Amino acid sequence: MLGIPKSLTLVAKPQTLGLITEFVRAGAREANLPELQTGQLELLIEEIFVNIYRYSYPEQAPGSITVTYTIPNAGELSVEVKDQGIEFNPLAAPAPDLTLSLEQRPIGGLGILLLKTLAGSLSYRREQGWNRLRFGISANS
Amino acid sequence: MTIERSNVDGKVVLHVTGRMDADNAVLFERECESCIAEGITSLVVDLVDLKYVSSMGLRSFVVIGQKLREKGGDFRICRLTGLVRQVFEITRLNQVLPLHDSLESALVGR
Repeated sequence: MLGIPKSLTLVAKPQTLGLITEFVRAGAREANLPELQTGQLELLIEEIFVNIYRYSYPEQAPGSITVTYTIPNAGELSVEVKDQGIEFNPLAAPAPDLTLSLEQRPIGGLGILLLKTLAGSLSYRREQGWNRLRFGISANS
Repeated sequence: MTIERSNVDGKVVLHVTGRMDADNAVLFERECESCIAEGITSLVVDLVDLKYVSSMGLRSFVVIGQKLREKGGDFRICRLTGLVRQVFEITRLNQVLPLHDSLESALVGR
Protein backbone atom coordinates (compact mmCIF):
# COMPACT_ATOMS: atom_id res chain seq x y z
CA MET A 1 0.00 0.00 0.00
CA LEU A 2 1.20 3.52 -0.73
CA GLY A 3 3.26 5.12 1.98
CA ILE A 4 2.99 2.39 4.61
CA PRO A 5 6.44 0.99 5.49
CA LYS A 6 7.03 -2.75 5.57
CA SER A 7 10.00 -4.25 7.38
CA LEU A 8 11.79 -7.55 7.64
CA THR A 9 14.49 -8.28 10.21
CA LEU A 10 16.62 -11.38 10.10
CA VAL A 11 20.11 -12.66 10.75
CA ALA A 12 22.53 -11.69 8.00
CA LYS A 13 24.00 -14.96 6.77
CA PRO A 14 24.20 -16.62 3.37
CA GLN A 15 21.14 -18.79 4.02
CA THR A 16 18.83 -15.80 4.53
CA LEU A 17 19.61 -14.00 1.25
CA GLY A 18 16.70 -15.77 -0.44
CA LEU A 19 14.22 -14.51 2.17
CA ILE A 20 15.37 -10.91 1.81
CA THR A 21 15.21 -11.19 -1.97
CA GLU A 22 11.67 -12.56 -1.80
CA PHE A 23 10.67 -9.71 0.55
CA VAL A 24 11.87 -6.92 -1.75
CA ARG A 25 10.47 -8.70 -4.79
CA ALA A 26 7.05 -8.48 -3.15
CA GLY A 27 7.69 -4.74 -2.73
CA ALA A 28 8.58 -4.45 -6.39
CA ARG A 29 5.33 -6.15 -7.33
CA GLU A 30 3.33 -3.82 -5.07
CA ALA A 31 5.06 -0.82 -6.63
CA ASN A 32 4.51 -2.19 -10.14
CA LEU A 33 8.19 -2.02 -11.01
CA PRO A 34 9.06 -3.42 -14.43
CA GLU A 35 11.19 -6.57 -14.75
CA LEU A 36 14.50 -4.74 -15.31
CA GLN A 37 14.09 -2.51 -12.23
CA THR A 38 12.96 -5.48 -10.14
CA GLY A 39 16.18 -7.26 -11.09
CA GLN A 40 18.17 -4.13 -10.25
CA LEU A 41 16.49 -3.96 -6.85
CA GLU A 42 17.34 -7.61 -6.12
CA LEU A 43 20.91 -6.95 -7.17
CA LEU A 44 21.21 -3.90 -4.91
CA ILE A 45 19.85 -5.82 -1.95
CA GLU A 46 22.20 -8.73 -2.58
CA GLU A 47 25.25 -6.47 -2.83
CA ILE A 48 24.36 -4.66 0.41
CA PHE A 49 23.43 -7.89 2.19
CA VAL A 50 26.63 -9.71 1.20
CA ASN A 51 28.73 -6.75 2.36
CA ILE A 52 27.01 -6.81 5.73
CA TYR A 53 27.40 -10.50 6.43
CA ARG A 54 30.94 -10.64 5.13
CA TYR A 55 32.41 -7.44 6.52
CA SER A 56 30.09 -5.74 8.96
CA TYR A 57 29.72 -8.52 11.51
CA PRO A 58 32.39 -10.98 12.70
CA GLU A 59 32.18 -14.32 10.92
CA GLN A 60 31.57 -16.20 14.16
CA ALA A 61 28.89 -13.80 15.37
CA PRO A 62 26.46 -12.85 12.61
CA GLY A 63 24.16 -9.95 13.45
CA SER A 64 20.82 -8.75 12.27
CA ILE A 65 19.77 -6.74 9.27
CA THR A 66 16.51 -4.87 8.82
CA VAL A 67 15.14 -4.01 5.41
CA THR A 68 12.29 -1.53 5.19
CA TYR A 69 10.53 -0.42 2.07
CA THR A 70 7.88 2.14 1.29
CA ILE A 71 6.11 2.99 -1.92
CA PRO A 72 6.05 6.79 -2.03
CA ASN A 73 4.24 6.74 -5.38
CA ALA A 74 3.17 4.04 -7.81
CA GLY A 75 6.21 2.90 -9.76
CA GLU A 76 8.64 3.93 -7.01
CA LEU A 77 10.17 2.03 -4.16
CA SER A 78 12.20 3.56 -1.35
CA VAL A 79 14.39 1.17 0.63
CA GLU A 80 16.38 1.41 3.85
CA VAL A 81 18.80 -1.28 5.02
CA LYS A 82 20.21 -1.04 8.52
CA ASP A 83 22.63 -3.08 10.57
CA GLN A 84 24.62 -2.68 13.78
CA GLY A 85 27.94 -3.92 12.49
CA ILE A 86 31.14 -1.93 12.11
CA GLU A 87 30.80 1.48 10.53
CA PHE A 88 30.92 1.20 6.77
CA ASN A 89 29.99 3.88 4.28
CA PRO A 90 29.95 2.34 0.79
CA LEU A 91 29.73 5.83 -0.72
CA ALA A 92 33.21 6.54 0.62
CA ALA A 93 34.72 3.33 -0.79
CA PRO A 94 37.29 3.91 -3.54
CA ALA A 95 36.14 3.24 -7.09
CA PRO A 96 37.68 0.22 -8.81
CA ASP A 97 40.02 0.88 -11.74
CA LEU A 98 37.98 -0.22 -14.74
CA THR A 99 40.77 0.49 -17.21
CA LEU A 100 42.83 -2.49 -16.04
CA SER A 101 43.27 -5.48 -18.34
CA LEU A 102 41.65 -8.79 -17.46
CA GLU A 103 44.92 -10.14 -16.09
CA GLN A 104 45.33 -7.11 -13.80
CA ARG A 105 41.77 -6.92 -12.59
CA PRO A 106 41.24 -7.75 -8.92
CA ILE A 107 38.65 -10.50 -8.62
CA GLY A 108 36.31 -8.53 -6.38
CA GLY A 109 35.25 -4.96 -5.72
CA LEU A 110 32.52 -4.57 -8.32
CA GLY A 111 29.56 -4.78 -5.97
CA ILE A 112 29.89 -1.26 -4.61
CA LEU A 113 30.26 0.10 -8.14
CA LEU A 114 26.97 -1.58 -9.10
CA LEU A 115 25.39 -0.17 -5.95
CA LYS A 116 26.54 3.39 -6.66
CA THR A 117 25.52 3.16 -10.31
CA LEU A 118 22.09 1.54 -10.01
CA ALA A 119 20.73 2.96 -6.75
CA GLY A 120 18.84 6.22 -7.04
CA SER A 121 19.58 8.87 -4.38
CA LEU A 122 21.86 6.59 -2.38
CA SER A 123 22.59 7.93 1.08
CA TYR A 124 24.38 6.67 4.17
CA ARG A 125 24.17 7.64 7.83
CA ARG A 126 25.87 6.28 10.89
CA GLU A 127 23.47 6.79 13.73
CA GLN A 128 23.76 5.53 17.32
CA GLY A 129 25.62 2.42 16.32
CA TRP A 130 23.55 1.77 13.19
CA ASN A 131 24.61 1.80 9.56
CA ARG A 132 21.63 3.14 7.62
CA LEU A 133 21.72 2.93 3.87
CA ARG A 134 18.89 4.33 1.82
CA PHE A 135 18.13 4.29 -1.87
CA GLY A 136 15.27 4.49 -4.29
CA ILE A 137 14.40 2.71 -7.46
CA SER A 138 11.73 3.72 -9.91
CA ALA A 139 10.06 2.50 -13.06
CA ASN A 140 11.62 5.42 -14.93
CA SER A 141 15.19 4.91 -13.75
CA MET B 1 20.70 -21.87 -11.83
CA THR B 2 21.32 -24.75 -14.20
CA ILE B 3 24.34 -25.28 -16.41
CA GLU B 4 24.04 -27.44 -19.48
CA ARG B 5 27.19 -28.55 -21.21
CA SER B 6 27.30 -29.42 -24.88
CA ASN B 7 29.74 -29.72 -27.74
CA VAL B 8 29.08 -27.57 -30.76
CA ASP B 9 31.46 -27.60 -33.74
CA GLY B 10 34.14 -29.14 -31.50
CA LYS B 11 33.83 -26.47 -28.83
CA VAL B 12 32.44 -26.79 -25.33
CA VAL B 13 29.41 -24.58 -24.77
CA LEU B 14 28.00 -23.94 -21.30
CA HIS B 15 24.40 -22.81 -21.42
CA VAL B 16 23.53 -21.10 -18.14
CA THR B 17 19.90 -20.66 -17.13
CA GLY B 18 18.34 -18.78 -14.22
CA ARG B 19 20.11 -16.64 -11.63
CA MET B 20 23.77 -16.47 -10.70
CA ASP B 21 24.17 -15.00 -7.22
CA ALA B 22 26.24 -15.19 -4.03
CA ASP B 23 24.61 -18.51 -3.27
CA ASN B 24 25.48 -20.39 -6.44
CA ALA B 25 28.16 -18.56 -8.45
CA VAL B 26 30.66 -21.06 -7.14
CA LEU B 27 28.83 -23.83 -9.02
CA PHE B 28 29.47 -22.07 -12.32
CA GLU B 29 33.10 -21.59 -11.35
CA ARG B 30 33.41 -25.30 -10.50
CA GLU B 31 31.87 -26.38 -13.80
CA CYS B 32 34.36 -24.20 -15.69
CA GLU B 33 37.21 -25.48 -13.49
CA SER B 34 36.31 -29.07 -14.28
CA CYS B 35 36.39 -28.28 -18.01
CA ILE B 36 39.84 -26.72 -17.54
CA ALA B 37 40.96 -29.79 -15.55
CA GLU B 38 39.95 -31.94 -18.52
CA GLY B 39 42.31 -29.93 -20.67
CA ILE B 40 39.68 -27.75 -22.34
CA THR B 41 41.09 -24.25 -22.83
CA SER B 42 38.42 -22.78 -25.06
CA LEU B 43 35.03 -22.20 -23.47
CA VAL B 44 31.90 -20.58 -24.85
CA VAL B 45 29.30 -19.46 -22.32
CA ASP B 46 25.80 -18.84 -23.61
CA LEU B 47 23.90 -16.49 -21.30
CA VAL B 48 20.68 -16.06 -23.29
CA ASP B 49 18.67 -17.62 -20.45
CA LEU B 50 20.57 -16.03 -17.57
CA LYS B 51 18.26 -13.46 -16.02
CA TYR B 52 20.38 -12.20 -13.14
CA VAL B 53 24.02 -11.91 -12.16
CA SER B 54 25.46 -10.16 -9.10
CA SER B 55 29.05 -9.16 -8.33
CA MET B 56 29.70 -12.64 -6.94
CA GLY B 57 28.85 -14.04 -10.37
CA LEU B 58 31.03 -11.44 -12.09
CA ARG B 59 33.86 -12.51 -9.83
CA SER B 60 33.58 -16.03 -11.26
CA PHE B 61 33.74 -14.72 -14.83
CA VAL B 62 36.92 -12.77 -13.97
CA VAL B 63 38.52 -15.78 -12.25
CA ILE B 64 37.79 -18.16 -15.13
CA GLY B 65 38.73 -15.59 -17.77
CA GLN B 66 42.09 -15.07 -16.07
CA LYS B 67 42.74 -18.82 -15.77
CA LEU B 68 41.94 -19.49 -19.41
CA ARG B 69 44.05 -16.60 -20.61
CA GLU B 70 46.97 -17.80 -18.48
CA LYS B 71 46.75 -21.08 -20.38
CA GLY B 72 46.59 -19.27 -23.70
CA GLY B 73 42.97 -20.30 -23.98
CA ASP B 74 39.81 -18.51 -24.91
CA PHE B 75 36.72 -17.50 -22.94
CA ARG B 76 33.83 -16.32 -25.06
CA ILE B 77 30.55 -15.09 -23.69
CA CYS B 78 27.49 -14.64 -25.85
CA ARG B 79 23.87 -13.52 -25.96
CA LEU B 80 23.62 -11.35 -22.85
CA THR B 81 20.28 -9.68 -22.28
CA GLY B 82 18.64 -7.15 -19.96
CA LEU B 83 20.12 -6.80 -16.51
CA VAL B 84 23.00 -9.20 -17.23
CA ARG B 85 24.16 -7.11 -20.18
CA GLN B 86 23.76 -3.92 -18.14
CA VAL B 87 25.90 -5.30 -15.30
CA PHE B 88 28.69 -6.33 -17.69
CA GLU B 89 28.60 -2.86 -19.23
CA ILE B 90 28.64 -0.93 -15.92
CA THR B 91 31.65 -2.90 -14.70
CA ARG B 92 33.28 -2.70 -18.14
CA LEU B 93 33.83 -6.42 -18.16
CA ASN B 94 32.55 -6.21 -21.73
CA GLN B 95 35.84 -4.47 -22.54
CA VAL B 96 38.05 -7.25 -21.20
CA LEU B 97 35.86 -10.25 -21.95
CA PRO B 98 34.57 -9.50 -25.45
CA LEU B 99 30.89 -10.33 -25.78
CA HIS B 100 29.26 -11.92 -28.80
CA ASP B 101 25.73 -11.22 -29.93
CA SER B 102 25.18 -14.70 -31.30
CA LEU B 103 26.31 -18.21 -30.47
CA GLU B 104 27.52 -18.57 -34.05
CA SER B 105 29.90 -15.63 -33.78
CA ALA B 106 31.20 -16.89 -30.42
CA LEU B 107 31.92 -20.25 -32.06
CA VAL B 108 33.80 -18.85 -35.04
CA GLY B 109 35.79 -16.35 -33.02
CA ARG B 110 36.29 -12.65 -33.02
